[in-house]
Amino acid sequence: MRSAPTPPRFAQRLLRWFCAPHRLDELEGDLDELFQDRIKSVGVHRARWRYWRDVLSLMRPFVIRRQHTDYPSPTHTTMIRNYLTVAFRNLARAKSYAFINIAGLSVGMAASALIALWIQSELTYDQFYSKTDRLFQVYNRDTFNGTTQAWETTPRPLAPALKQDYPDIDDASRYRPITFVLTANDKNVNIDGAFADPTFLNLFDFPFLTGNAQASLSEPNGIVITKSLAESLFGTTQALGKIIQVDHKDSFSVTGVLDDLPDNSRFSSISYLLPYNYFISLGWGSDDWSSNNEYTFVLLKDKVDPAMAENKIKRVTAQHLKGVLDDVSHRHIFLHPASKWHLYSKQDNGQLVDGKIVTVRLFGIIAAFILLIAAVNFINLSTARSEKRAKEVGIRKVAGAQKRSLVFQFISESVLLAFFAGLLALLLIVLCIPLFNTITGKQLSLAFGSVSFWLAAPGFVLFTGLLAGSYPAFYLASFQPIRVMKGTYQPVAAVFSPRKGLVVAQFTFTIVLIIATLVIRQQIHHAQNRESGYDQNNLLFAYLHGDLPSHYEALQQDLLRSGAAVSVGRSLGPLTDINSRQWGVSWPGSTKADKDIEFDRFGTDTDFLTTMGTKLTAGRALDVRQFPTDSNAVMLNETAVKTMHLKNPVGTSIRFLKQDWQVVGVLKDFVFASPYDPINPVIVSGPGQSVSLGWTSMRLNPANATAKNLEVIEAVFKKYNPGYPFEYTFADESYKAKFADEQRVGVLTSLFSGLSIFIACLGLFGLAAYTAQQRTKEIGIRKTLGASVASIVQLLTKEFIYLTLAAFLIGAPIGWYAMHRWLEDYTYRITIGIDVFTVTLLSAILIVLLTVSFQAIKAALVNPVKSLRSE
Amino acid sequence: MKGTYLGEFEEVVLLAVAIRDGDAYGAAVVNEIEQQMGRSVNLGAVHSALHRLQEKGLVKSEMGGISPERGGRRKRLYSVTAYGRRVLEEVRQLRNQMWDAIPRTAWS
Repeated sequence: MRSAPTPPRFAQRLLRWFCAPHRLDELEGDLDELFQDRIKSVGVHRARWRYWRDVLSLMRPFVIRRQHTDYPSPTHTTMIRNYLTVAFRNLARAKSYAFINIAGLSVGMAASALIALWIQSELTYDQFYSKTDRLFQVYNRDTFNGTTQAWETTPRPLAPALKQDYPDIDDASRYRPITFVLTANDKNVNIDGAFADPTFLNLFDFPFLTGNAQASLSEPNGIVITKSLAESLFGTTQALGKIIQVDHKDSFSVTGVLDDLPDNSRFSSISYLLPYNYFISLGWGSDDWSSNNEYTFVLLKDKVDPAMAENKIKRVTAQHLKGVLDDVSHRHIFLHPASKWHLYSKQDNGQLVDGKIVTVRLFGIIAAFILLIAAVNFINLSTARSEKRAKEVGIRKVAGAQKRSLVFQFISESVLLAFFAGLLALLLIVLCIPLFNTITGKQLSLAFGSVSFWLAAPGFVLFTGLLAGSYPAFYLASFQPIRVMKGTYQPVAAVFSPRKGLVVAQFTFTIVLIIATLVIRQQIHHAQNRESGYDQNNLLFAYLHGDLPSHYEALQQDLLRSGAAVSVGRSLGPLTDINSRQWGVSWPGSTKADKDIEFDRFGTDTDFLTTMGTKLTAGRALDVRQFPTDSNAVMLNETAVKTMHLKNPVGTSIRFLKQDWQVVGVLKDFVFASPYDPINPVIVSGPGQSVSLGWTSMRLNPANATAKNLEVIEAVFKKYNPGYPFEYTFADESYKAKFADEQRVGVLTSLFSGLSIFIACLGLFGLAAYTAQQRTKEIGIRKTLGASVASIVQLLTKEFIYLTLAAFLIGAPIGWYAMHRWLEDYTYRITIGIDVFTVTLLSAILIVLLTVSFQAIKAALVNPVKSLRSE
Repeated sequence: MKGTYLGEFEEVVLLAVAIRDGDAYGAAVVNEIEQQMGRSVNLGAVHSALHRLQEKGLVKSEMGGISPERGGRRKRLYSVTAYGRRVLEEVRQLRNQMWDAIPRTAWS
């Protein structure tokens, strides 16, 4: 027997969902009756169909609207509404506390969010290629003189050999950065780029605007350029097939236009790619396995264990160098994964241990602490003012509230506060991001369009609310109604209250930051004041582009005759950079191990001393014009003489590059590399051997204005080399640039310590105000009994000073240890003196006094008649 | 019509309520209209019209007793109020008046 047909179940359920309860009965009845009628008249199928139509037609406001009733039916939302009302009333009643809490929290949130953005950008470096997890850079490792070193340049034949001989390696590419003058439409730009194998674009899938990855670098005269270079050369990104002249020699046609490379790529500074084969055809570099000048990138096959692959290839270079080098037993190559390129680039004893990751961790800790300081403010003020809420808690408990619901209430209150603070923080971030970007040299922004932002922002607010609100919530919710309602409730004044502990923690962190700021400043100052050993003012370096080397003599004469330069010389490179390194030097009395000693090599032809302003301590200056044999002569610096243990250096003959060099003079040590490092042994050689002196160094005429000098020099350069823009670097500027990293850290640390002082003081201000208010009566009585204003101020501030002292006792050793570790990275460094701690302690006490005494004095000046009359 | 505008469908529903004197509820009105006019109407449209009529004061409603044929569900019974009756009459009168005003020659 078939059961009676039923109306569509889903339609019924829909109706029950949207229909107001008081109308449901009647409507279902109507629907049912019609359904039964229609089965008889039009059949089951049509009846069900009509049922559906009727249900849908009933979705109208008058059906959906719930019946109004005068009796409340409490739901969860009702209670939450009550919590919000109470929260708003509390905020409105104590506006200054609300302000302190919201201000502190928002500054803390903004600061830690900015740091989080920075950390995120650091962590995503080189992580966005589609094959990131299979990409590696090949590093060299060897042991010299007992110390193991790792370096990132490799021999030219390595990449092809790896790809050919090892099945684990999917692809490999060589890479060599370069700076060329590019010319198109009579426009010259001197800009950074690189030579790379065609496979490079298979390894790194940079998005192409036009052209394709496979073909663009395989053509012998194809060039791939970025969008911004295309725009600056041609004014359009539609540059495919257009001609660019490279270094005023060879013409290349554009075979691809890349979108601009992302900032968080290690290749972000390059603007074009040229075929690596063109580099080979220029005859630069060498095919020897012993010359390490190329970068090698490899792509491993899918599911190949990098450690296994590394194990197979690690002896490749050693095998080829057998017989070329004396000892290849320690020569290895190893793979450095793409995800670690940016953060782990510092080598220590042949291992790439850390690098930027240290700063990332440090800033992470700072961010966490700043947020914590802001949260502590909230915790302290809420627990201190708990008395104000005690009655409310009592009443709620008597009315039947569970502890759980009270905890929920107070936490939702703090989340609400965190929400307001978050809105303010958002505003602060938007306002401060340009400044922060200038300091950090990044391009950070808030990704309002991304899902992750809208997940992260509420998550952050919730986290802050929980962090700040959990403890006060449990503290408040655990009040016993009997005690608070009788009015005998007094907060326990324990010797060690959690509140005091938290204030100490806040100030400990602040004191550590103050110490760090002072030490970093001293260290930078120390290095800046280091005697550089040469005259940095008015010293200019320029590369000899194009035709300049062949016209050098005339150029030099013109420069001197123009009066813009007082001295001009050729050199291997600017004095402020390391030009070249030299191993395998031998001298009378040197041992075999001495061949591993690394000398920094500079070159000159003449006028080295007058141009650079270095001092001579023995012998004479190298001068090719006066003494033609000086082509094969060298000058040493004092450190080199010491390293070589030479008694009478002048006149000694030393040997490197298969040739003897006569020592003609000894130079006073000068600082050319990092101002924090010890001075290396230096050889300044004449122009006798292969390496060409491609740069010129000029000492400008101090009698003229610098702008005038530059104008004249540019004219002279243009005369001999019209096709190239005149580009130069100043010695003092590039020397200053060496402090940029430390200065950046210094600025950030002082910024953050300033912020944490501000937030901590906000909290202290609130606490002091509350204590003063609590003790109004006591102060009144004391004053009537003859207490002076000073003694009352002392009474109110004493406790905070003790807390500061306690914080200093904890913070000073931590700060000393942390900064001691930081300084260990620098050879030329300060020792942390007692002055740092004195200044820290005094400034901390001064800040605390200023914050607290305002409230204390205000309280002490009140007329006791007023404070005692009101009851 | 003294400020009360009666839509065409509302007029039909009001008439149907009047026809089912004492036994006018949603489903009954639907059936009545469908029989009288031979067109299908939605229950939602009828209830909506009844709701509006009640708001205008043309009908009143009360909950009826439990009847077994509806599975124990109650009916909301509508009846025409005095005001509703007067409005209907006015409508009819107006129509008649207009019919009478048609000249005899118009149809020939």
